[in-house]
Amino acid sequence: MAVITETASESAPPARTTSKGMWLLAPGVIWMTLFLVLPILMMVYVSFWTQTTFKIEPKLTLQSWITFFSSDTYIGALWTTVRIWLTVLAATLLVGYPAALFVGLFVKNKTLSTVLLVLCVIPFWTSFLIRVLAWRPMLGKEGAINMILMKLGVVSQPIEVLLFSDLSVIIGMTQIYCVFMVGPIAFMLGRIDPSIIEAAQDLGAGFWRIFRTIILPLSMPGVVVGSIFVSVMVLGEFATSAALSGRKVNLLGNIIVTQVGSLKWAFAAVAGVVLTILMGAAVAALLRVVDLRKEL
Amino acid sequence: MNGGSIKFGLGLYTTLFIVFLYAPLAVLTILSFQTGPEGGPQFPIIEWSVYWYQHLFGLTPPSRIAPLPIEEALIRSLTLAVMTMIVSTVLGVTSAQAFRQKFRGSGVVFYLIVLGMMVPGVLVGLGMALVANALGIDRTWWGTAFVLHVVYTFPFAFLVMLAIFNRFDPSVEEASWSLGVSPARTFRKITFPLIFPGVLSAMLFAFTLSYDEFSRTLFASGRDLTLPLAIYGTFSVEVHPNVFAFGVLTTLFSFALLAIYAILMSLSVRRAKRVAVQEEA
Repeated sequence: MAVITETASESAPPARTTSKGMWLLAPGVIWMTLFLVLPILMMVYVSFWTQTTFKIEPKLTLQSWITFFSSDTYIGALWTTVRIWLTVLAATLLVGYPAALFVGLFVKNKTLSTVLLVLCVIPFWTSFLIRVLAWRPMLGKEGAINMILMKLGVVSQPIEVLLFSDLSVIIGMTQIYCVFMVGPIAFMLGRIDPSIIEAAQDLGAGFWRIFRTIILPLSMPGVVVGSIFVSVMVLGEFATSAALSGRKVNLLGNIIVTQVGSLKWAFAAVAGVVLTILMGAAVAALLRVVDLRKEL
Repeated sequence: MNGGSIKFGLGLYTTLFIVFLYAPLAVLTILSFQTGPEGGPQFPIIEWSVYWYQHLFGLTPPSRIAPLPIEEALIRSLTLAVMTMIVSTVLGVTSAQAFRQKFRGSGVVFYLIVLGMMVPGVLVGLGMALVANALGIDRTWWGTAFVLHVVYTFPFAFLVMLAIFNRFDPSVEEASWSLGVSPARTFRKITFPLIFPGVLSAMLFAFTLSYDEFSRTLFASGRDLTLPLAIYGTFSVEVHPNVFAFGVLTTLFSFALLAIYAILMSLSVRRAKRVAVQEEA
Protein backbone atom coordinates (compact mmCIF):
# COMPACT_ATOMS: atom_id res chain seq x y z
CA MET A 1 0.00 0.00 0.00
CA ALA A 2 2.69 2.39 1.03
CA VAL A 3 4.65 1.56 -2.10
CA ILE A 4 1.67 2.23 -4.32
CA THR A 5 0.93 5.65 -2.83
CA GLU A 6 4.59 6.55 -2.99
CA THR A 7 4.97 5.79 -6.67
CA ALA A 8 1.64 7.42 -7.35
CA SER A 9 2.65 10.63 -5.64
CA GLU A 10 5.93 10.59 -7.49
CA SER A 11 4.50 10.12 -10.94
CA ALA A 12 1.34 12.22 -10.65
CA PRO A 13 2.98 15.67 -10.43
CA PRO A 14 5.75 16.38 -12.94
CA ALA A 15 8.34 13.96 -11.58
CA ARG A 16 10.88 14.73 -14.25
CA THR A 17 14.02 16.33 -13.01
CA THR A 18 14.37 19.09 -15.56
CA SER A 19 17.87 20.02 -16.60
CA LYS A 20 17.18 23.56 -15.42
CA GLY A 21 16.30 22.26 -11.96
CA MET A 22 19.52 20.25 -11.92
CA TRP A 23 21.59 23.31 -12.69
CA LEU A 24 19.88 25.28 -9.95
CA LEU A 25 20.45 22.51 -7.44
CA ALA A 26 23.96 21.47 -8.36
CA PRO A 27 25.97 24.35 -6.78
CA GLY A 28 24.38 23.90 -3.35
CA VAL A 29 24.67 20.12 -3.40
CA ILE A 30 28.29 20.19 -4.56
CA TRP A 31 29.16 22.79 -1.91
CA MET A 32 27.62 20.73 0.90
CA THR A 33 29.22 17.51 -0.33
CA LEU A 34 32.70 18.98 -0.60
CA PHE A 35 32.69 21.14 2.51
CA LEU A 36 30.38 19.27 4.88
CA VAL A 37 30.20 15.57 4.03
CA LEU A 38 33.83 15.22 2.96
CA PRO A 39 35.27 16.85 6.15
CA ILE A 40 33.12 14.60 8.36
CA LEU A 41 34.20 11.49 6.45
CA MET A 42 37.80 12.68 6.64
CA MET A 43 37.44 12.96 10.42
CA VAL A 44 36.23 9.36 10.64
CA TYR A 45 39.07 8.23 8.37
CA VAL A 46 41.80 10.11 10.24
CA SER A 47 40.65 8.63 13.55
CA PHE A 48 42.23 5.38 12.30
CA TRP A 49 45.52 6.98 11.26
CA THR A 50 48.79 6.51 13.10
CA GLN A 51 49.66 9.33 15.47
CA THR A 52 53.32 10.11 16.04
CA THR A 53 54.53 12.90 18.28
CA PHE A 54 53.88 15.81 15.95
CA LYS A 55 52.19 14.42 12.89
CA ILE A 56 49.83 11.78 11.59
CA GLU A 57 50.50 9.14 8.95
CA PRO A 58 47.89 7.41 6.82
CA LYS A 59 48.76 3.97 8.21
CA LEU A 60 45.56 2.46 9.55
CA THR A 61 45.53 1.48 13.20
CA LEU A 62 43.15 1.27 16.14
CA GLN A 63 45.76 2.74 18.47
CA SER A 64 44.07 6.15 18.93
CA TRP A 65 40.77 4.47 19.76
CA ILE A 66 42.44 2.22 22.32
CA THR A 67 44.22 5.18 23.86
CA PHE A 68 40.98 7.14 24.01
CA PHE A 69 38.99 4.44 25.76
CA SER A 70 41.75 3.46 28.19
CA SER A 71 42.42 7.02 29.32
CA ASP A 72 40.68 8.34 32.42
CA THR A 73 40.86 11.89 31.07
CA TYR A 74 38.98 11.10 27.87
CA ILE A 75 36.42 8.82 29.47
CA GLY A 76 35.95 11.46 32.15
CA ALA A 77 35.34 14.07 29.47
CA LEU A 78 32.79 11.80 27.84
CA TRP A 79 30.85 11.43 31.10
CA THR A 80 31.15 15.14 31.89
CA THR A 81 29.71 15.88 28.45
CA VAL A 82 26.78 13.53 29.02
CA ARG A 83 26.17 14.90 32.51
CA ILE A 84 26.29 18.57 31.52
CA TRP A 85 24.17 17.90 28.44
CA LEU A 86 21.39 16.13 30.37
CA THR A 87 21.44 18.72 33.15
CA VAL A 88 21.26 21.64 30.73
CA LEU A 89 18.53 19.89 28.74
CA ALA A 90 16.43 19.45 31.88
CA ALA A 91 17.18 22.99 33.04
CA THR A 92 16.22 24.62 29.73
CA LEU A 93 12.98 22.63 29.72
CA LEU A 94 12.10 23.53 33.32
CA VAL A 95 13.04 27.18 32.92
CA GLY A 96 11.61 27.59 29.44
CA TYR A 97 8.33 25.68 29.59
CA PRO A 98 6.41 28.05 31.92
CA ALA A 99 7.50 31.04 29.87
CA ALA A 100 6.41 29.27 26.67
CA LEU A 101 3.11 28.39 28.33
CA PHE A 102 2.48 32.05 29.10
CA VAL A 103 3.51 33.35 25.69
CA GLY A 104 1.90 30.61 23.63
CA LEU A 105 -1.33 29.95 25.49
CA PHE A 106 -2.17 32.63 28.03
CA VAL A 107 -1.39 35.76 26.05
CA LYS A 108 -4.44 36.27 23.85
CA ASN A 109 -3.18 39.48 22.29
CA LYS A 110 -1.14 38.60 19.17
CA THR A 111 0.94 41.78 19.33
CA LEU A 112 1.90 41.19 22.94
CA SER A 113 2.98 37.61 22.32
CA THR A 114 5.06 38.71 19.33
CA VAL A 115 6.66 41.42 21.45
CA LEU A 116 7.49 38.89 24.17
CA LEU A 117 9.05 36.49 21.66
CA VAL A 118 11.08 39.29 20.08
CA LEU A 119 12.27 40.28 23.57
CA CYS A 120 13.55 36.73 24.01
CA VAL A 121 15.38 36.79 20.68
CA ILE A 122 17.04 40.21 20.97
CA PRO A 123 19.93 38.97 23.16
CA PHE A 124 20.92 36.78 20.21
CA TRP A 125 21.96 39.88 18.38
CA THR A 126 24.87 40.12 20.75
CA SER A 127 28.00 38.14 20.09
CA PHE A 128 27.80 34.63 21.54
CA LEU A 129 31.19 34.98 23.22
CA ILE A 130 30.21 38.28 24.79
CA ARG A 131 27.08 36.66 26.20
CA VAL A 132 29.20 33.92 27.72
CA LEU A 133 31.68 36.39 29.11
CA ALA A 134 28.89 38.50 30.59
CA TRP A 135 28.32 35.79 33.19
CA ARG A 136 31.72 36.36 34.75
CA PRO A 137 30.88 39.67 36.44
CA MET A 138 27.49 38.19 37.38
CA LEU A 139 28.73 35.05 39.11
CA GLY A 140 32.17 36.01 40.41
CA LYS A 141 33.13 36.23 44.07
CA GLU A 142 32.68 40.00 43.85
CA GLY A 143 29.98 39.59 41.23
CA ALA A 144 26.52 41.06 41.01
CA ILE A 145 24.68 38.06 42.44
CA ASN A 146 26.93 37.72 45.47
CA MET A 147 26.75 41.46 46.04
CA ILE A 148 22.95 41.47 45.97
CA LEU A 149 22.69 38.40 48.21
CA MET A 150 25.06 39.97 50.75
CA LYS A 151 23.16 43.27 50.71
CA LEU A 152 19.91 41.42 51.30
CA GLY A 153 21.53 39.54 54.14
CA VAL A 154 20.79 36.13 52.62
CA VAL A 155 24.43 35.11 52.93
CA SER A 156 27.23 36.56 55.02
CA GLN A 157 30.09 35.19 52.93
CA PRO A 158 30.24 35.38 49.13
CA ILE A 159 29.27 32.05 47.54
CA GLU A 160 32.40 30.89 45.76
CA VAL A 161 31.00 27.92 43.84
CA LEU A 162 29.03 30.28 41.62
CA LEU A 163 31.94 30.85 39.26
CA PHE A 164 34.50 28.41 37.87
CA SER A 165 32.44 25.31 38.62
CA ASP A 166 29.94 22.93 37.01
CA LEU A 167 27.23 25.24 38.25
CA SER A 168 28.46 28.30 36.37
CA VAL A 169 28.69 26.31 33.13
CA ILE A 170 25.15 25.01 33.61
CA ILE A 171 23.75 28.46 34.46
CA GLY A 172 25.48 30.04 31.48
CA MET A 173 24.38 27.37 29.00
CA THR A 174 20.82 27.38 30.31
CA GLN A 175 20.53 31.11 29.77
CA ILE A 176 22.11 30.99 26.32
CA TYR A 177 20.13 28.04 24.97
CA CYS A 178 16.74 28.11 26.71
CA VAL A 179 15.26 30.36 24.03
CA PHE A 180 15.63 27.49 21.56
CA MET A 181 13.33 25.54 23.87
CA VAL A 182 10.82 28.37 24.39
CA GLY A 183 10.34 29.09 20.68
CA PRO A 184 9.20 25.66 19.43
CA ILE A 185 7.08 24.98 22.54
CA ALA A 186 5.34 28.37 22.32
CA PHE A 187 4.71 27.70 18.63
CA MET A 188 3.03 24.35 19.32
CA LEU A 189 0.99 25.78 22.22
CA GLY A 190 -0.19 28.62 20.01
CA ARG A 191 -1.71 26.09 17.63
CA ILE A 192 -3.95 24.50 20.27
CA ASP A 193 -7.61 25.15 19.48
CA PRO A 194 -8.94 27.19 22.46
CA SER A 195 -12.31 25.48 22.17
CA ILE A 196 -10.78 22.16 23.27
CA ILE A 197 -9.64 23.75 26.51
CA GLU A 198 -12.95 25.53 26.94
CA ALA A 199 -14.78 22.24 26.46
CA ALA A 200 -12.59 20.62 29.12
CA GLN A 201 -13.30 23.53 31.47
CA ASP A 202 -17.02 23.30 30.83
CA LEU A 203 -16.86 19.64 31.71
CA GLY A 204 -15.33 20.64 35.04
CA ALA A 205 -11.63 19.79 34.57
CA GLY A 206 -9.20 21.75 36.73
CA PHE A 207 -6.03 23.41 35.41
CA TRP A 208 -3.71 20.51 36.28
CA ARG A 209 -5.96 17.97 34.67
CA ILE A 210 -6.19 20.09 31.50
CA PHE A 211 -2.45 20.59 31.55
CA ARG A 212 -1.72 16.88 31.93
CA THR A 213 -4.24 15.53 29.44
CA ILE A 214 -4.40 18.27 26.79
CA ILE A 215 -1.67 20.89 26.93
CA LEU A 216 1.34 18.70 27.67
CA PRO A 217 0.67 16.01 25.04
CA LEU A 218 -0.09 18.60 22.36
CA SER A 219 3.10 20.50 23.14
CA MET A 220 5.35 17.42 22.94
CA PRO A 221 6.46 17.99 19.32
CA GLY A 222 7.68 21.43 20.43
CA VAL A 223 9.50 19.90 23.37
CA VAL A 224 11.21 17.40 21.08
CA VAL A 225 12.24 19.98 18.48
CA GLY A 226 13.54 22.28 21.23
CA SER A 227 15.41 19.39 22.85
CA ILE A 228 17.05 18.50 19.55
CA PHE A 229 18.22 22.12 19.11
CA VAL A 230 19.53 22.35 22.67
CA SER A 231 21.18 18.91 22.58
CA VAL A 232 23.05 19.51 19.35
CA MET A 233 24.28 22.89 20.53
CA VAL A 234 25.27 21.83 24.04
CA LEU A 235 27.07 18.71 22.83
CA GLY A 236 29.11 20.79 20.41
CA GLU A 237 30.06 23.31 23.09
CA PHE A 238 33.49 24.20 24.33
CA ALA A 239 33.55 27.98 24.67
CA THR A 240 31.17 28.27 27.62
CA SER A 241 33.01 25.60 29.60
CA ALA A 242 36.35 27.22 28.74
CA ALA A 243 35.18 30.66 29.85
CA LEU A 244 33.13 29.85 32.93
CA SER A 245 34.70 26.75 34.46
CA GLY A 246 38.29 27.96 34.67
CA ARG A 247 39.33 24.81 32.76
CA LYS A 248 37.81 22.58 35.42
CA VAL A 249 35.02 21.27 33.23
CA ASN A 250 36.38 19.49 30.17
CA LEU A 251 33.82 18.56 27.59
CA LEU A 252 34.60 16.49 24.50
CA GLY A 253 34.66 19.77 22.60
CA ASN A 254 37.41 21.06 24.90
CA ILE A 255 39.35 17.83 24.37
CA ILE A 256 39.20 18.37 20.61
CA VAL A 257 40.44 21.95 20.96
CA THR A 258 43.40 21.02 23.18
CA GLN A 259 44.33 18.00 21.06
CA VAL A 260 44.33 20.10 17.90
CA GLY A 261 46.40 22.69 19.76
CA SER A 262 49.07 20.08 20.45
CA LEU A 263 48.81 18.62 16.92
CA LYS A 264 47.33 15.34 18.10
CA TRP A 265 45.02 15.20 15.09
CA ALA A 266 44.16 11.51 15.34
CA PHE A 267 43.06 11.80 18.98
CA ALA A 268 41.02 14.88 18.13
CA ALA A 269 39.40 12.91 15.32
CA VAL A 270 38.54 10.05 17.70
CA ALA A 271 36.94 12.51 20.12
CA GLY A 272 35.08 14.04 17.17
CA VAL A 273 33.72 10.67 16.04
CA VAL A 274 32.65 9.80 19.60
CA LEU A 275 30.88 13.16 19.82
CA THR A 276 29.16 12.56 16.47
CA ILE A 277 27.91 9.16 17.61
CA LEU A 278 26.68 10.61 20.90
CA MET A 279 24.85 13.35 19.04
CA GLY A 280 23.29 10.94 16.56
CA ALA A 281 22.11 8.71 19.40
CA ALA A 282 20.64 11.71 21.24
CA VAL A 283 18.71 12.95 18.19
CA ALA A 284 17.52 9.43 17.31
CA ALA A 285 16.31 8.87 20.88
CA LEU A 286 14.45 12.19 20.89
CA LEU A 287 12.81 11.45 17.56
CA ARG A 288 11.47 8.20 18.99
CA VAL A 289 9.51 10.15 21.59
CA VAL A 290 7.32 11.81 18.99
CA ASP A 291 6.89 11.10 15.31
CA LEU A 292 7.54 14.62 14.07
CA ARG A 293 6.41 13.96 10.52
CA LYS A 294 3.00 12.94 11.76
CA GLU A 295 2.69 15.81 14.21
CA LEU A 296 3.88 18.79 12.22
CA MET B 1 -7.74 30.01 29.04
CA ASN B 2 -8.90 31.78 32.16
CA GLY B 3 -7.35 31.02 35.46
CA GLY B 4 -6.68 34.38 36.97
CA SER B 5 -4.07 33.39 39.52
CA ILE B 6 -2.30 30.93 37.22
CA LYS B 7 -2.11 33.53 34.49
CA PHE B 8 -0.79 36.11 36.93
CA GLY B 9 1.79 33.67 38.26
CA LEU B 10 2.99 32.72 34.80
CA GLY B 11 3.10 36.36 33.77
CA LEU B 12 5.27 37.17 36.76
CA TYR B 13 7.47 34.19 35.94
CA THR B 14 7.85 35.32 32.33
CA THR B 15 8.93 38.75 33.53
CA LEU B 16 11.58 37.15 35.72
CA PHE B 17 12.58 34.96 32.79
CA ILE B 18 13.20 38.02 30.63
CA VAL B 19 15.19 39.60 33.45
CA PHE B 20 17.27 36.39 33.54
CA LEU B 21 17.92 36.75 29.79
CA TYR B 22 18.97 40.38 30.05
CA ALA B 23 20.67 40.68 33.43
CA PRO B 24 24.17 39.59 32.36
CA LEU B 25 24.17 42.04 29.47
CA ALA B 26 22.94 44.83 31.72
CA VAL B 27 25.70 44.15 34.23
CA LEU B 28 28.24 43.99 31.42
CA THR B 29 27.09 47.36 30.10
CA ILE B 30 27.27 48.99 33.53
CA LEU B 31 30.76 47.62 34.15
CA SER B 32 32.01 48.83 30.78
CA PHE B 33 31.80 52.35 32.25
CA GLN B 34 34.23 51.46 35.03
CA THR B 35 37.12 53.83 35.48
CA GLY B 36 40.49 52.80 34.11
CA PRO B 37 43.15 51.60 34.01
CA GLU B 38 43.02 50.60 37.68
CA GLY B 39 39.29 49.69 37.76
CA GLY B 40 38.65 45.97 37.33
CA PRO B 41 35.75 44.05 35.80
CA GLN B 42 33.72 43.97 39.04
CA PHE B 43 31.59 46.06 41.36
CA PRO B 44 31.62 48.59 42.83
CA ILE B 45 32.00 51.18 40.10
CA ILE B 46 34.85 53.30 41.42
CA GLU B 47 34.04 56.15 39.11
CA TRP B 48 31.97 56.38 35.94
CA SER B 49 34.07 56.95 32.85
CA VAL B 50 34.43 56.11 29.19
CA TYR B 51 38.08 55.17 29.69
CA TRP B 52 37.68 51.64 28.29
CA TYR B 53 35.92 52.88 25.18
CA GLN B 54 38.83 55.25 24.55
CA HIS B 55 41.16 52.34 25.30
CA LEU B 56 39.54 50.35 22.49
CA PHE B 57 40.27 53.08 19.99
CA GLY B 58 43.82 53.59 21.26
CA LEU B 59 43.04 57.04 22.66
CA THR B 60 44.46 56.37 26.12
CA PRO B 61 48.06 56.62 27.22
CA PRO B 62 49.78 53.22 27.07
CA SER B 63 49.22 51.10 30.16
CA ARG B 64 49.97 47.54 31.24
CA ILE B 65 46.72 46.39 29.64
CA ALA B 66 47.29 45.59 26.00
CA PRO B 67 44.69 46.94 23.58
CA LEU B 68 42.43 44.41 21.87
CA PRO B 69 43.67 43.58 18.37
CA ILE B 70 40.36 44.55 16.82
CA GLU B 71 41.17 46.89 13.95
CA GLU B 72 42.32 44.35 11.36
CA ALA B 73 40.11 41.66 12.85
CA LEU B 74 37.09 43.89 12.29
CA ILE B 75 37.92 44.38 8.62
CA ARG B 76 38.44 40.64 8.17
CA SER B 77 35.18 39.78 9.93
CA LEU B 78 33.18 42.28 7.88
CA THR B 79 34.71 41.09 4.60
CA LEU B 80 34.07 37.49 5.52
CA ALA B 81 30.48 38.26 6.51
CA VAL B 82 29.78 40.07 3.23
CA MET B 83 31.32 37.25 1.16
CA THR B 84 29.33 34.66 3.09
CA MET B 85 26.15 36.69 2.79
CA ILE B 86 26.40 36.96 -0.99
CA VAL B 87 27.28 33.33 -1.67
CA SER B 88 24.83 31.76 0.77
CA THR B 89 21.96 33.98 -0.37
CA VAL B 90 22.59 33.09 -4.02
CA LEU B 91 22.84 29.38 -3.15
CA GLY B 92 19.72 29.65 -0.98
CA VAL B 93 17.65 31.31 -3.71
CA THR B 94 18.75 28.92 -6.46
CA SER B 95 18.27 25.78 -4.34
CA ALA B 96 14.86 26.88 -3.09
CA GLN B 97 13.90 27.74 -6.68
CA ALA B 98 14.81 24.17 -7.67
CA PHE B 99 12.64 22.84 -4.83
CA ARG B 100 9.53 24.46 -6.32
CA GLN B 101 9.29 21.43 -8.56
CA LYS B 102 8.92 17.99 -7.07
CA PHE B 103 11.85 15.81 -7.97
CA ARG B 104 13.23 12.43 -7.02
CA GLY B 105 15.65 12.53 -4.10
CA SER B 106 14.36 15.88 -2.87
CA GLY B 107 14.23 14.47 0.67
CA VAL B 108 17.91 13.53 0.64
CA VAL B 109 18.95 16.91 -0.76
CA PHE B 110 16.79 18.70 1.81
CA TYR B 111 18.44 16.86 4.70
CA LEU B 112 21.90 17.34 3.18
CA ILE B 113 21.38 21.11 3.16
CA VAL B 114 19.76 21.34 6.60
CA LEU B 115 22.57 19.21 8.06
CA GLY B 116 24.84 22.21 7.54
CA MET B 117 23.15 24.17 10.31
CA MET B 118 22.82 21.20 12.66
CA VAL B 119 26.36 19.79 12.66
CA PRO B 120 28.34 21.55 15.40
CA GLY B 121 31.17 23.83 14.37
CA VAL B 122 33.75 21.78 16.26
CA LEU B 123 33.15 18.77 14.02
CA VAL B 124 33.09 20.47 10.61
CA GLY B 125 35.92 22.73 11.70
CA LEU B 126 38.07 19.78 12.71
CA GLY B 127 37.14 17.87 9.55
CA MET B 128 37.99 20.84 7.34
CA ALA B 129 41.33 21.29 9.08
CA LEU B 130 42.10 17.62 8.45
CA VAL B 131 41.12 17.87 4.78
CA ALA B 132 43.27 20.99 4.38
CA ASN B 133 46.22 19.27 6.05
CA ALA B 134 45.87 16.17 3.88
CA LEU B 135 45.72 18.24 0.71
CA GLY B 136 48.50 20.55 1.85
CA ILE B 137 46.27 23.64 1.61
CA ASP B 138 46.96 26.57 3.93
CA ARG B 139 44.11 27.30 6.29
CA THR B 140 42.89 30.86 5.82
CA TRP B 141 39.89 32.88 6.94
CA TRP B 142 39.02 33.75 3.33
CA GLY B 143 39.38 30.15 2.12
CA THR B 144 38.77 27.21 4.41
CA ALA B 145 36.91 29.24 7.03
CA PHE B 146 34.82 31.03 4.39
CA VAL B 147 33.49 27.81 2.83
CA LEU B 148 32.47 26.57 6.29
CA HIS B 149 30.68 29.83 7.02
CA VAL B 150 28.64 29.24 3.87
CA VAL B 151 27.94 25.64 4.92
CA TYR B 152 26.50 27.09 8.15
CA THR B 153 24.49 30.02 6.75
CA PHE B 154 23.29 28.60 3.43
CA PRO B 155 20.70 26.31 5.15
CA PHE B 156 19.17 29.35 6.88
CA ALA B 157 18.90 31.21 3.58
CA PHE B 158 17.49 28.08 1.95
CA LEU B 159 14.79 27.60 4.60
CA VAL B 160 13.77 31.27 4.48
CA MET B 161 13.49 31.16 0.70
CA LEU B 162 11.61 27.86 0.81
CA ALA B 163 9.03 29.46 3.10
CA ILE B 164 8.74 32.43 0.73
CA PHE B 165 8.31 30.29 -2.38
CA ASN B 166 5.66 28.24 -0.60
CA ARG B 167 3.40 31.28 -0.38
CA PHE B 168 4.24 32.38 -3.90
CA ASP B 169 1.58 32.24 -6.59
CA PRO B 170 3.22 30.78 -9.72
CA SER B 171 0.41 31.99 -11.97
CA VAL B 172 1.86 35.53 -11.91
CA GLU B 173 5.06 34.24 -13.48
CA GLU B 174 3.16 32.07 -15.94
CA ALA B 175 1.12 35.08 -17.01
CA SER B 176 4.31 36.98 -17.68
CA TRP B 177 5.82 34.14 -19.71
CA SER B 178 2.66 33.67 -21.75
CA LEU B 179 2.75 37.38 -22.61
CA GLY B 180 6.12 36.72 -24.21
CA VAL B 181 8.34 38.28 -21.54
CA SER B 182 11.73 36.56 -21.37
CA PRO B 183 12.45 34.41 -18.27
CA ALA B 184 15.33 36.69 -17.22
CA ARG B 185 13.13 39.79 -17.42
CA THR B 186 10.30 37.97 -15.64
CA PHE B 187 12.65 37.09 -12.81
CA ARG B 188 13.87 40.67 -12.53
CA LYS B 189 10.46 42.35 -12.82
CA ILE B 190 8.09 39.83 -11.23
CA THR B 191 9.79 37.11 -9.22
CA PHE B 192 12.50 39.11 -7.56
CA PRO B 193 10.31 41.94 -6.20
CA LEU B 194 7.97 39.30 -4.78
CA ILE B 195 10.71 37.35 -3.05
CA PHE B 196 12.70 40.42 -2.02
CA PRO B 197 11.60 40.38 1.66
CA GLY B 198 12.82 36.79 1.87
CA VAL B 199 16.11 37.63 0.20
CA LEU B 200 16.60 40.46 2.67
CA SER B 201 15.92 38.16 5.63
CA ALA B 202 18.27 35.53 4.23
CA MET B 203 20.99 38.18 3.85
CA LEU B 204 20.47 39.39 7.41
CA PHE B 205 20.70 35.84 8.76
CA ALA B 206 23.80 35.01 6.75
CA PHE B 207 25.60 38.24 7.64
CA THR B 208 24.96 38.16 11.37
CA LEU B 209 25.61 34.43 11.74
CA SER B 210 28.88 34.70 9.87
CA TYR B 211 29.95 37.88 11.68
CA ASP B 212 29.44 36.09 14.99
CA GLU B 213 30.62 32.61 13.90
CA PHE B 214 33.47 31.31 15.90
CA SER B 215 33.91 27.56 16.41
CA ARG B 216 34.26 26.82 12.69
CA THR B 217 36.63 29.74 12.27
CA LEU B 218 38.76 28.62 15.22
CA PHE B 219 39.82 25.42 13.46
CA ALA B 220 39.64 26.42 9.84
CA SER B 221 41.26 29.85 9.78
CA GLY B 222 44.98 30.26 9.97
CA ARG B 223 47.02 32.74 11.96
CA ASP B 224 44.93 35.82 11.11
CA LEU B 225 42.24 36.45 13.69
CA THR B 226 38.65 37.37 13.03
CA LEU B 227 36.75 39.40 15.61
CA PRO B 228 35.24 36.46 17.55
CA LEU B 229 38.65 34.81 17.67
CA ALA B 230 40.14 37.98 19.12
CA ILE B 231 37.51 37.88 21.87
CA TYR B 232 38.10 34.17 22.45
CA GLY B 233 41.75 34.96 22.96
CA THR B 234 40.84 37.06 26.00
CA PHE B 235 39.18 34.04 27.66
CA SER B 236 42.46 32.56 28.73
CA VAL B 237 43.86 35.77 30.20
CA GLU B 238 42.55 38.15 32.82
CA VAL B 239 39.44 39.94 31.57
CA HIS B 240 39.45 43.72 31.62
CA PRO B 241 36.47 46.01 31.09
CA ASN B 242 37.72 46.83 27.58
CA VAL B 243 36.21 43.53 26.44
CA PHE B 244 32.91 44.63 27.99
CA ALA B 245 33.09 47.97 26.22
CA PHE B 246 33.75 46.11 23.01
CA GLY B 247 30.73 43.88 23.68
CA VAL B 248 28.51 46.94 24.07
CA LEU B 249 29.79 48.39 20.79
CA THR B 250 29.29 45.22 18.75
CA THR B 251 25.79 44.86 20.19
CA LEU B 252 25.01 48.40 19.06
CA PHE B 253 26.42 47.53 15.64
CA SER B 254 24.10 44.52 15.39
CA PHE B 255 21.12 46.66 16.37
CA ALA B 256 22.07 49.13 13.66
CA LEU B 257 22.01 46.26 11.16
CA LEU B 258 18.62 45.21 12.46
CA ALA B 259 17.37 48.79 12.04
CA ILE B 260 18.61 48.92 8.43
CA TYR B 261 16.85 45.63 7.81
CA ALA B 262 13.62 46.98 9.30
CA ILE B 263 13.80 50.14 7.17
CA LEU B 264 14.46 48.25 3.93
CA MET B 265 11.72 45.81 4.78
CA SER B 266 9.11 48.49 5.44
CA LEU B 267 10.16 50.29 2.24
CA SER B 268 9.61 47.14 0.22
CA VAL B 269 6.25 46.50 1.87
CA ARG B 270 5.19 50.09 1.15
CA ARG B 271 6.28 49.75 -2.46
CA ALA B 272 4.31 46.54 -2.83
CA LYS B 273 1.25 48.31 -1.44
CA ARG B 274 1.67 51.22 -3.84
CA VAL B 275 1.87 48.84 -6.79
CA ALA B 276 -1.24 47.07 -5.57
CA VAL B 277 -3.12 50.37 -5.33
CA GLN B 278 -2.02 51.35 -8.85
CA GLU B 279 -3.27 48.05 -10.18
CA GLU B 280 -6.64 48.55 -8.57
CA ALA B 281 -7.07 52.04 -9.95
